Amino acid sequence: MSVAAHGGAAAAAANYIFPNDLHVHWSLMIVLYPYITGLVAGAFIVSSLYHVFHIKALKPVARFSLLFALAFLICATWPLLNHLGRPERALSMMLTPNPTSAMAGFGYIYSAYFIVLLLEIIFIFRPTVVALRQKATGFMKTVYGILAIGSDNVSAKSLKLDHKIISFLAAIGIPMACLLHGYVGFIFGGIKANPLWATPLMPLIFLLSACVSGIAGIIVTYILLMKISGKEIDVDCVQTLIKFLWGFFILDFVFEMLELFSHFYMANHHWHTLETLYSGPLYNTFWVFQIGIFSVIPFFLLMLMSLIRFKDSLLLFFAPIVSIMILVQVLLMRWNVVVGGQLMSKSERGATTFHPMWLEKEGILPAIIIMIAPVVILWIIGKILPFWMDDEGVEAA
Amino acid sequence: MEKRYKSGDYAHVLRLAIILIVAAVLGIFARGMFLPDTMGQYGFYRGSDIEDQRNVTIRNQTNDACFECHRPIRLIHKEGVHKTVSCEFCHGPYADHIKDGKRVGKLPVKKGMEIKDLCLRCHNKVIKARPETSIKVIAMPQHLEEKKVQVTHNCNQCHMVHDPLLWIKAAYEMMGMEMKGDKK
Repeated sequence: MSVAAHGGAAAAAANYIFPNDLHVHWSLMIVLYPYITGLVAGAFIVSSLYHVFHIKALKPVARFSLLFALAFLICATWPLLNHLGRPERALSMMLTPNPTSAMAGFGYIYSAYFIVLLLEIIFIFRPTVVALRQKATGFMKTVYGILAIGSDNVSAKSLKLDHKIISFLAAIGIPMACLLHGYVGFIFGGIKANPLWATPLMPLIFLLSACVSGIAGIIVTYILLMKISGKEIDVDCVQTLIKFLWGFFILDFVFEMLELFSHFYMANHHWHTLETLYSGPLYNTFWVFQIGIFSVIPFFLLMLMSLIRFKDSLLLFFAPIVSIMILVQVLLMRWNVVVGGQLMSKSERGATTFHPMWLEKEGILPAIIIMIAPVVILWIIGKILPFWMDDEGVEAA
Repeated sequence: MEKRYKSGDYAHVLRLAIILIVAAVLGIFARGMFLPDTMGQYGFYRGSDIEDQRNVTIRNQTNDACFECHRPIRLIHKEGVHKTVSCEFCHGPYADHIKDGKRVGKLPVKKGMEIKDLCLRCHNKVIKARPETSIKVIAMPQHLEEKKVQVTHNCNQCHMVHDPLLWIKAAYEMMGMEMKGDKK
């Protein structure tokens, strides 16, 4: 309905934004932060499917997904530090943890998860590292010495204990990965002043989209790395990953839609603001891209790929495409939640706009650099630890 | 017979446990070292921060502080539609001008095209932060074209900056015309 129809007073009241709502403070960096932590949590779930739930088909990517998770976890704080005006004060959060501050919890949740992931990698790779240490010389020998915690013992007795520790770490790692990412969702879901964010479904949606993006990320990098190194791709593994991707994506997509539907059905006093947001500033990024192109198409593609046995070449053609689409879908979802929630003014009468610049501190270029950084770190890790199990013929777990 | 190793079967686990314990102890030690003494004195913040905040020198004053000396401008500014605009918003903080009752510096008075930039800080149509009824927002040079003046004109050629409608109202009065709308 046109505002002009209500006369001058309504026209004056239209697009009335409080001055403190004009600027979108949580920029691209805060879009990347849940995206990167989501990739970490999702990759860890893939590894746990093998180590805890014994999905044997996932063996080829079980170790790789841990290293993938580590590479992204190292960079998970970078967008936050770049967002802060005084990043050196971030450690105060660890020094004086405020028990009533949801945001201050991140330091401890992140650190605890980091320790668990690092320990699991140390134990899983220990026999490999011990073998590599014997062959290595110079600087690399020292690196492997540190990674092996100075031990050369790979006796049956020590490996048995390692195995128990690995199972324990993987088992507590699952709730911790869920906590890490559920917590990120909670940061948004717990902001009661923002009707787009404030829903108990938010941690769940974040968690499910995290699993989805992590699995998709593993599929893309696995196929890409295998193609580059000219190794044979384990089709069974890809097929299983696709099935899990579909399973998690059904839940993710359904909950995203349920959340929107419950807002629509309850139609409380905030709904008209949300409605104008979804039909106005978010129309393209939400309806056209996130839902129309990058959810509906992958949804049916994944369904076909899971239900019909594709020819190997066809499966390996569609798997990376559908995975990249899912990765874009999750990035769009983060954008629509993080930026979208800030576009509406608390006046509930207007919306602001957000256009990230290329070269500003929190602009597009820094965002690209931060997204490339984990890939570079993963490459460096790949120089030290072998990604694939059969590289040295030693089986760890 | 099994191969002999230099390290014990559980050596690495023990070492890791020791590393974690040492790290935790160092963390607690570091916390004790870096934690401000007055942390938590009154609540969840550094108690001495209250003293620090109290010692921050006040740099801004109210318009009345300016009007104590600047009498002629007071008469104009307090009557016009800009009466709620702080003097310091255009001229800078009081502390740069007066310290301990003595004049310590000259505050800037915007000249030439700087004036246009200053006006557009609030009156720019791009900023949609406030409703039309509370602030006049314009686009340049559209506004000059509408008013049928040269597009090179500066804001203060038509508007007295302290009372933007002073001359406009006078001109209407001279011509015996009435102003549109409810402009005061």
